Amino acid sequence: MSLFNRQAASHTPDITQEPDEDLPVQDAASLGVIGCHHCGTVWEGAQPHQACGVCHAPLHVRRIDSLTRTWALLIAACIMYIPANMMPVMVTSTLFDEQRDTILSGVIYFWTSGEWGLALVVFVASFLVPLFKLVALGILVFSARRRSRWRRLQRAKLYRVVEAIGRWSMLDVFVVSVLTGLVKIHGFANIHAGIGIAAFGAVVVLTMLASLAFDPRLIWDERAIDPNAEVSREPLPEPVSPNDNANTPQETA
Amino acid sequence: MQKRTDLIVCEECDAVYQRMALGEREIARCLRCGAELERDTGRRLQHLLPLTIGALILFVIANTFPIVTIELQGLSSQTTLIGAVVALTRDGMSEVALLVLATTLLFPLIQLGVLLYLLLPGARDRRPPGFVLLLRLMQAARPWGMIEVFMLGVLVALIKLSNMAEVIPGPALWSFGGLTVLLTVVVSFNPRYLWHLWEQQQAEQYGDKGTGA
Amino acid sequence: MTPPDHSDDKPALLQPRRARQRNWLPSLVWLIPIVAAIVGLTLVAKILVERGPVVTVSFRSAEGLEAGKTKVKYKDVEIGQVQSLKLAADRSHVLVGIQLNQDASGFNAEDTRFWVVRPRIAASGISGLGTLLSGAYIGADAGASEETKKNFVGLEQPPIVTRDASGRQFVLHTDDLGSLDIGSPIFYRRIKVGQVVAYDLDSDGRGVTLRIFVNAPYDKFVTQASRFWHASGFDMELNASGFKLHTQALSTVVLGGIAFRDRDEEQVSSPAKEGAEYALVEDESAAMKEPDGVPQTALLYFDQSLRGLQPGATVDFRGVVLGEVKSIGVQYDKARGEFRMPVLVQIYPDRLGRRFHEETGEQRRSNAQLLRMLVKRGMRAQLRNGNLLTGQLYVAIDFFPKAKPAQIDPDKVPLELPTIPGSLDELQQQLSDIAGKLSKVPFDEIGRDLQTTLKTLNKTLTTAEQTAARINNDIAPEMQAAMKDARKTLNAAERTLSDDAPLQSDIRQTMQELGKAAASIRILTDYLQQHPESLIRGKQEP
Repeated sequence: MSLFNRQAASHTPDITQEPDEDLPVQDAASLGVIGCHHCGTVWEGAQPHQACGVCHAPLHVRRIDSLTRTWALLIAACIMYIPANMMPVMVTSTLFDEQRDTILSGVIYFWTSGEWGLALVVFVASFLVPLFKLVALGILVFSARRRSRWRRLQRAKLYRVVEAIGRWSMLDVFVVSVLTGLVKIHGFANIHAGIGIAAFGAVVVLTMLASLAFDPRLIWDERAIDPNAEVSREPLPEPVSPNDNANTPQETA
Repeated sequence: MQKRTDLIVCEECDAVYQRMALGEREIARCLRCGAELERDTGRRLQHLLPLTIGALILFVIANTFPIVTIELQGLSSQTTLIGAVVALTRDGMSEVALLVLATTLLFPLIQLGVLLYLLLPGARDRRPPGFVLLLRLMQAARPWGMIEVFMLGVLVALIKLSNMAEVIPGPALWSFGGLTVLLTVVVSFNPRYLWHLWEQQQAEQYGDKGTGA
Repeated sequence: MTPPDHSDDKPALLQPRRARQRNWLPSLVWLIPIVAAIVGLTLVAKILVERGPVVTVSFRSAEGLEAGKTKVKYKDVEIGQVQSLKLAADRSHVLVGIQLNQDASGFNAEDTRFWVVRPRIAASGISGLGTLLSGAYIGADAGASEETKKNFVGLEQPPIVTRDASGRQFVLHTDDLGSLDIGSPIFYRRIKVGQVVAYDLDSDGRGVTLRIFVNAPYDKFVTQASRFWHASGFDMELNASGFKLHTQALSTVVLGGIAFRDRDEEQVSSPAKEGAEYALVEDESAAMKEPDGVPQTALLYFDQSLRGLQPGATVDFRGVVLGEVKSIGVQYDKARGEFRMPVLVQIYPDRLGRRFHEETGEQRRSNAQLLRMLVKRGMRAQLRNGNLLTGQLYVAIDFFPKAKPAQIDPDKVPLELPTIPGSLDELQQQLSDIAGKLSKVPFDEIGRDLQTTLKTLNKTLTTAEQTAARINNDIAPEMQAAMKDARKTLNAAERTLSDDAPLQSDIRQTMQELGKAAASIRILTDYLQQHPESLIRGKQEP
């Protein structure tokens, strides 16, 4: 308990205080505690892969292979992004002709027919958001790998945004599904989904998986933490000085 | 390992804090990154059960009745959610059909069903069987329920169709609208508090003892 | 927001007493699921209440039908929907399960009929084209019976007459069907008033019986005095009376048709009863002619060439058709040693008798007395030239006061009527008379002096007289007759081809309509070519 006595008592916490990324706090990894990802219970002295006592989820100080997994999923999503935008997502067949729509041509159709609001919605949800997610996740992974201290708070907020808006790129998939199910008037008008929408769905799923795989704590880590390493049963002998966060010795074997 | 109920760890930046008792409707935030650490659930837990039941009823309605009917030159066509999935499968896009089915039917249903099962009275004094597995399942399904996106997608599709045909909303459309609202409220409830709900009651009943490693 | 980061070396605070607040809010929240449940139950109840009875109809094929989609319509109003399609156990037909609406509950009466409306080409025309685009639907005709049934046998063809059509059925008898079929139109004054509903060969195979249906309010024009005739296609007649062309409407050229009219339009007859029977004859003139009465066969002996006379040639009395020539033969009369040509004719003396009776107002006498009187007055049969175009001869019966007296034996079978030679024979007679008279002139007595002069002059005069006589008696009447005929023919042709002839106006009308239709189709296809998407998206606002 004495560990915490020396917390920065000079801080008089203000209720509306803005987060301060340079605040010297103790992170759980250095203190040998793990907060369970599922139930939030804090455990001290847990070994890697040990099950949480409350929810039986495996406890990890960091997500396993987070960067590798995120990177792989991201690349896969980037690959699928190309056919998602180039192949038609929806094919409309009428008596006379067959019209193939890609995501962008759908946006253009709305734009030219005067539905600017819809054009904007579809453009943002189906084109900008996936692109944004790919770029944002790329930045996050890249900067985490280099353990940069550049704008950590912004990056943390970026991650939150990516997580929040991820699902909304599924919009076009649902639009196409509803239209496919609805417009099936034989011989007159017939809509069926194109390959592009399968690729697009894959992009959404992959980016969502990628953002779930990414461990946001890596943004704040200043040293590599091996989630598979054994944790010592004792708490660290020395209290960590607030000013020494940059180069503190690590886990004991 | 030892349970430390006096501590709380920020999920996003791993900072460690003292766990405080929260006043009514108070939220504890991390000082460094601003992430939410804990919030006072207050009466929300009590609201959860009726909202879940309401959502389930609306869910059933939304899937049994047609969402919308279109009329073109005297011909009409209508579909339900499942009808759209079947149409996608018939067209050969079975992966997309599976995706749509999962995100609009399966995962929301898992969430609502598990919540209902866990919250129904009679399971008050001890954890219902399968609690751990079910709650884990529900937490896994949580990010994948996308009914509100589906709602917006239906609206966009309707506006697109209203250019070429006459669009008549069906009962399921309103159900989906209501379901979106209810689901948003239900889902915003972080299930981790459910873990502690039973913990509290267990602690109250059997005395406080940390579970040994 | 409370930052929970501070030292714990503060003195422990007292814990306040926590009391349980009474929450009325939860009960308010329960309103949401309750409302949702009520809404759901109302929807379900509405569906259940709107449901009517379920019937099963069997058809030979389910072509064009879709479970859950195909509608059942009556007078274009939806009264139900197809729920299921199943093969019958013996696989000979398809069982279509139909869910009727609540307000269509009368449609499970026992005599309701169901049929599938698909594009169909039948004798009555092309129907159901709209279903090419919209998909087939099931048509129904409500029955009036009190009893209800659950299983029906569907009709394979739409019924010609639905139960609610008002009108009457009649029966027609005819020799052969001609170009008629089910659905062939019935015309009254060239307006379609009904159609043929069914036909059947008579059990003895000697004729065809048709059943027709005439719609209200035209059914009251079918009276006891109505006559029906084939109005199929063109009616052309080219015979001794001239050239005639009839047609009812161009549609009858394709479909065949029947027309009817009262025989005598001056008299008003009472409307016929349902199911009244009529005879269907070949054409209008056959229909309109008066009843012939009993035909009489008669024999005529002509001593001249019968070239140009054919069986079927008319027997004419001053323009009234009395009968027709039945057959021509050759006989060798052993007693006289010469060839005779008996011509067998069939006449209807009633035609003559009635006219004569009307004209003279005399009491009706027996046939025999009548004939004797007529022959005494000079009634003879003569061969005359009927038609310049075809060189036909016909038999004319007329009065020749100067004819040689002849006897008629009314009891002889077949009756033999006296004949009189044709104009050529008369000429020969006259010439011989003139020659005889000329030879009696006492040329010797007039003077030997003039003999040489008069001989040449006489000879010239005689030849001139002969020529003149020939021109007068022989060629002139012939030319006159020929010109008369030519005029008649030209009149007829003129009537046909004149501007207001019915054929002309029909053709013209049709052409006009076709032109209009073609123009509008062209406009449509032009527009569609430029804007193919307008079919789906509708006409774009400029």
